[in-house]
Amino acid sequence: MPQLQADVLVIGGGATGAGVAWDAALRGFDVILVERGDLAEGTSGRFHGLLHSGGRYVVKDPVAAEECVVENAILRRVVPDCIEDTGGLFVTTPDDDPAYGDRFMEGCRAAKLPAEEIGVAEALRREPRLNPAIRRAFSVPDASIDAWKTVWSLARGAAAHRARVLTYHRVIDLHRSDGAVTGARVRNELTGEELDVEAGFTLNASGAWAAQILHMAGIEDVGVVPGKGIMIAMNHRLVNTVINRCTMPADGDILVPIRTVSVIGTTDVRSADPDEIPVTQDEVDQMLDDGERLVPGFREARALRVWAGVRPLFQDARAGEVTDTRDVSRTHAVVDHRKRDGVDGLLTMSGGKLTTLRLMAQDLVDAMCAQLGTERPCRTAEERPPGNDDGEHYRLGSRLRKREERLQEEQLICECEMIGRGRLEEAIRTRGTTNLDDIRRVLRLGMGPCQGGFCIYRATGILHAVDRLDGAEAAESLRRFLEERWKGVWPILYGDQLRQARLDDWIFQGVLDVEHLPPGEEAAA
Amino acid sequence: MSHHDAVVVGTGLAGLTAAVRLAESGARVLVLAKGVGATHLSPGTIDVLGYSPARVERPAEALGALPATHPYSLVGADAVAAAVTWFKERVASGSLAPYASVGDVDANFLLPPAVGVPRPSAVVPETMAAGDLRDGDPVYVVGFRALKDFHPALLADNLGRSGLGVKARATELELVPERRRDVNALGFARALDDPAFRGDVVAQVVTRLAPGERVAFPAVLGIADPHGAWTALEQGLGRPVFEVPTLPPSVPGMRVFALLREALRRAGGSVVLNNVVIGAERAGGRVTALRTRVGLRDERHGADWVVLATGGFASGGLELDSRWSARETALGLPVAGVPGAGEQRFRPGYFDDHPMSRAGVAVDRELRPVDAAGERALENVLVAGATLAGAEPWREKSGDGLSLATGYRAAELVLAASTAVPAAAAGS
Repeated sequence: MPQLQADVLVIGGGATGAGVAWDAALRGFDVILVERGDLAEGTSGRFHGLLHSGGRYVVKDPVAAEECVVENAILRRVVPDCIEDTGGLFVTTPDDDPAYGDRFMEGCRAAKLPAEEIGVAEALRREPRLNPAIRRAFSVPDASIDAWKTVWSLARGAAAHRARVLTYHRVIDLHRSDGAVTGARVRNELTGEELDVEAGFTLNASGAWAAQILHMAGIEDVGVVPGKGIMIAMNHRLVNTVINRCTMPADGDILVPIRTVSVIGTTDVRSADPDEIPVTQDEVDQMLDDGERLVPGFREARALRVWAGVRPLFQDARAGEVTDTRDVSRTHAVVDHRKRDGVDGLLTMSGGKLTTLRLMAQDLVDAMCAQLGTERPCRTAEERPPGNDDGEHYRLGSRLRKREERLQEEQLICECEMIGRGRLEEAIRTRGTTNLDDIRRVLRLGMGPCQGGFCIYRATGILHAVDRLDGAEAAESLRRFLEERWKGVWPILYGDQLRQARLDDWIFQGVLDVEHLPPGEEAAA
Repeated sequence: MSHHDAVVVGTGLAGLTAAVRLAESGARVLVLAKGVGATHLSPGTIDVLGYSPARVERPAEALGALPATHPYSLVGADAVAAAVTWFKERVASGSLAPYASVGDVDANFLLPPAVGVPRPSAVVPETMAAGDLRDGDPVYVVGFRALKDFHPALLADNLGRSGLGVKARATELELVPERRRDVNALGFARALDDPAFRGDVVAQVVTRLAPGERVAFPAVLGIADPHGAWTALEQGLGRPVFEVPTLPPSVPGMRVFALLREALRRAGGSVVLNNVVIGAERAGGRVTALRTRVGLRDERHGADWVVLATGGFASGGLELDSRWSARETALGLPVAGVPGAGEQRFRPGYFDDHPMSRAGVAVDRELRPVDAAGERALENVLVAGATLAGAEPWREKSGDGLSLATGYRAAELVLAASTAVPAAAAGS
């Protein structure tokens, strides 16, 4: 059995895990990060893209609000390229109590959140599609943040400090010796090969899946309450500012403009299994009604894709049953398994949110340092991970500007997201993957309005040519992409997106007949 | 307000077929459409029935086994065969002659599209016929680096896996029209209308061929002179040459559009684009005039007969709103086959059988739209093509066959029922 050794094993390749790996690597630890799928494939890649100002929490969860205020400012400094400075508004819709606005402003003052009440006319001038019947509006420093870009940037930063990032490596068992966790056995999900990672310390950053990891350490009574939230990406920037309902947190209370789309979220439903989070037509319907409340005509706009994510809300069996997942605090906490369970060498990050990923990582690594009796100061509030060097925020249109400079020079493979052949070939080479879905997450290939209708056949052909995939693998990759894509579109197929889906059916079923491509097994037989 | 014997709505294969058939019989025909139709998406083959649900070898026989609600069952197998014969005659005597279509409803070809799966089609352009995979000859696939919509190595690899014993190799040529990096199918088709470019292609390919190989190209062998391009390559290479359908825009589909529109023009009919039908004036169960929107202006077009061939959800002929209510967009005809509130419309697997997939306008045996109770909704409106309920064109590989057969049948029914036509015929 192959063996790897490290100071620290980080379990989970989402925002938390990548942040922890970056933090620990910066402090000079030798780090191995294992992730069962691809980076940011779980909760981190499945949120609405909001960098919280803290306004959402000022009334209900002041601690979370204060954390957001501080971390929002730090992330703007250290990962500027991952953030678009959209600004945000909290608006009182006709269904909301205007008096909440006063409590909101009080909370903002207490949390030192720079909010300002602006006139309704001014709000409508900034956002003309906003419901003209709103009664109050407050301006806050919300922003949108690209989770994939952020996680990749942190992971690259960690790797630049000698961390080893092993994607598609699933933890199948934790090693224990004398009441301490000493590493894990992991399985390469692509090859089936198993290997042992020996680590001085194990940091469990697996979010909604944390209980499954703890179970391997014999720790049974820490439960995760997966809080399912659905989000719908609309095909346009219906707004250019983050729009929040100025009310206690509720379903469908936020609309986030990110890149070329706007995302409405979200619901909060207790879910039994973090891997089983289907979207229902009723949930979609409810979300569209909520959108209508913020932006009249929302139902006439084109929905692009729907997805669900699971929040890593923690439930300690010793603290009583949680009935409404929305009542679980959004702050995070380090679970000290030495104190709680008598297990050394293991810490778990519980709860939290993407906006506070840096602080979460800092707290977790600080706690580890304390147990190890070493003092190594955290540097993540000052150091920028790769890709953020020029200090500029992302701006809508920057990709178009880059593209226009070289318009006649190379083939455009994905017209929707403006991805040239060179970038695609480079991504295939550097990622060393044959999975179109992995490439999608890095390049946004196939994430535009046509949802891969045109680019996916092209990308398959190029994968086949560049990577020397054989026909069976290429066919499998194509089919898998179509199945994955379908999961995100079928619940929102109406209007123009149904029309688009029919055009895509025309291509993939009518012309190319992907359904009848011979499967891989036949070729092998 | 203009007045015509028949107004056809839609310029896809169904609409053009109905219009040409009517105009050639002497009717005064106007075709109104929002834009060019689905011909530009289709491979240019007439797929009558490819899967039902197993792969169909003899479509004429398989038609009889379809459910009674299927549009083919409504028009009958004889009408399908007659339509196919009619279509082949139009191509052979059309503006692109001697470019011709080959095949019939008795047997399907097995032609590879760009991913290399054997795809059943009944009637195909002469330029594709040599690709039949029932013939075991090896294939040399030629692509162009500048054409991103065709990947020859992937095609060759999958042909080898098709289980039909066809060996294949591939190459990619660096030849580009106009020295651009990104040229679509139409750009290459125009280049291949030019004998000089054909010569360049032949010169680069001819030395690479192994004995016995036939040669596959993307379906871009000429738009104005496809027969010339194809024969020039066959003669230059000394091998059978065939075209392989790929992503839209479809050059063979554009040829179909061009030659049917030209046939319509020759027969005295006309096509007016950018005319969106937004409603109708009715009297006593009949439509007397269509209301259209042309830019910001409204127009009216009187008609004795209306053939509605606006397509399905893909073309905008049918629409589903966010509250899941479906409508036929031109005349507001009832839409059948839409699952009700609370029922599932789509299933979670892409290749599953989706409850929504057969939704469309239901018609009687004379292609008149019917309501939920089966009652005829309008006397002088006939529905053809992808607007119709009851078929799953993409999965069945029946789209073009359905459009052709129902468009043809709609014209036949109008001619049979019409007493107005002789007057027009006498005048022509």
